[in-house]
Amino acid sequence: MSSTMISSHIPDLDLITSYAQREGTFFSRVSPWTKFTGLLLVILLITLTRNLLICGLLYLIILGIYTFAGLPVKKLFAWYTLPVIFVISLVGIMAWTEPGTPLFLWNPGPFTLTLTDNGVILIITLLLKALISVTYSLFFLMTTRYQHFSAMIYRIFPTPLDQIFLLAYRFLFLTLSMTGAIFKAVRSRGGGIIHSIRVQGRIFAEVFALVFIRSFDRAERVHLAMIARGYSGKYEAGTEIPKPSLSGFFVMGAFICVIVFIVMRVPNTGGFF
Amino acid sequence: MTIIRRDPQAPHCPPVDKKRELIHVDCASHTYPDGSVGIHDMCFYVLKDEIVALCGPNGSGKSTLLEHLNGLLTPSKGDVWVNGRSITHGERADLWKDVGVVFQRSDDQLFAPTVLDDVMFGPLNLGMSHADAKAAAMSALEGVGAADLVLKLPNYLSGGQKRLVSIAGVLAMKPKIMVLDEPTSDLDPLHSERVEALILRFKRDYGISVVIATHDLDLAARIADRVCLVKNGSVFAEGKPDEVFYNPLLIDEAGLTLPQTVRIYLEYCKAQGIEPEQRPIHRHELISALQSS
Repeated sequence: MSSTMISSHIPDLDLITSYAQREGTFFSRVSPWTKFTGLLLVILLITLTRNLLICGLLYLIILGIYTFAGLPVKKLFAWYTLPVIFVISLVGIMAWTEPGTPLFLWNPGPFTLTLTDNGVILIITLLLKALISVTYSLFFLMTTRYQHFSAMIYRIFPTPLDQIFLLAYRFLFLTLSMTGAIFKAVRSRGGGIIHSIRVQGRIFAEVFALVFIRSFDRAERVHLAMIARGYSGKYEAGTEIPKPSLSGFFVMGAFICVIVFIVMRVPNTGGFF
Repeated sequence: MTIIRRDPQAPHCPPVDKKRELIHVDCASHTYPDGSVGIHDMCFYVLKDEIVALCGPNGSGKSTLLEHLNGLLTPSKGDVWVNGRSITHGERADLWKDVGVVFQRSDDQLFAPTVLDDVMFGPLNLGMSHADAKAAAMSALEGVGAADLVLKLPNYLSGGQKRLVSIAGVLAMKPKIMVLDEPTSDLDPLHSERVEALILRFKRDYGISVVIATHDLDLAARIADRVCLVKNGSVFAEGKPDEVFYNPLLIDEAGLTLPQTVRIYLEYCKAQGIEPEQRPIHRHELISALQSS
């Protein structure tokens, strides 16, 4: 467990960045622009298709690439907790209203709820879409050096969004580290054990308040240190981003062709075909 | 130079050698919004080519004074002159070009995604082109012996490495005066020695005047040309290290403890029943003093 890790179900920023900086895989040498274009194309494809088979295949391919890159698969499955909860909380109710062949009936009081085959397919499809975007995003983050990532943010986003992103990332590290330290201090004195929801809730509220106050204090000091070096509201990222290679262009071109083919030829239904 | 004791009731600070003066804090006071007094009728100056150590216990006002030197704070009373300009009268816009501040906690200073970005930040603010800023950053990193860290993320640096990068971030701006708040606190002995050697090099090789705030009197004894003792927001005494540190009553009044070299020598003299005839400050001076007595 890294120093900033709060729960094994929350993506560990420290670990993600350490994989990115390690550059131990072939994909680390691929231009960040190529991988970013890939991310955009993946999102485009999952936006355009509702085909379960396409989503399933795409998920398997991306999971395969993630595994081939030597990235931690067990941790990835643990990190799926949040997106899975998010999707189920969103479509868990919608699934009961989908027309189709009834699979399950439920009578809570005067109402009758019917879960249909299309309802189940909707849940699976949306889950797959969420996992595809999460897996590819993590793959992108874990194979792209942070200096390239930050320089991309600087080039892509308009001011002040780029400034917020650039400053927020380092600050996020510090805040997470601070949170981790406070949790350690709480645990070291017997805190953090669930005595009751009330006690646990109070501890979380105290930790949150402490992190907020300390973060605010630290932000002021960071700002002061920036002013001491002439900060006047504009911060520039200085790193050069590697340009896409010819093969990168070719792969992305092929991916676009595949997307066009899928959109034109594959039925866009909620079913398998 | 002999020890100068300040009269806290005096309306003005004693005159300073104007030709060599870089910084002059003239009876400055600063009260924080919560009513706590940071500095009070503070008299302080920095001359060209000198290393000044501000020594005092925690909360004595050292850090507040340092923030005045860069224009981060302005005095509520009195004045601060930097390079002939009064910061109290609105001339503090470009002060950061002359006075570089290295903060006590490197994590407060390193905000950029990478070491290179962070060290380039100051030069870019000076209006340098991207290429020139990069060259200045590389030169500064080489100067502090941290060129190998250029592509690292600050988050993955050790405390000592962070301190070196923080110093490089200020050195890259080529300031006339460098201000370091507790430069060796929380550092391992190896990095402490590196930082100490760097401070001496700033003066010798770059012609930079240095102000350090510290409660580590051993450090002050080793590197300072002049020591100012701070208590309750004021410099109450100052002088050469051997004059100040061989005055145990003064050090006691400041709420500090004697440097180790001085303590060893004084205890040795006491044990031998001899009067301390010399004033060794550096280790080699102590050895020769012990050998000769």
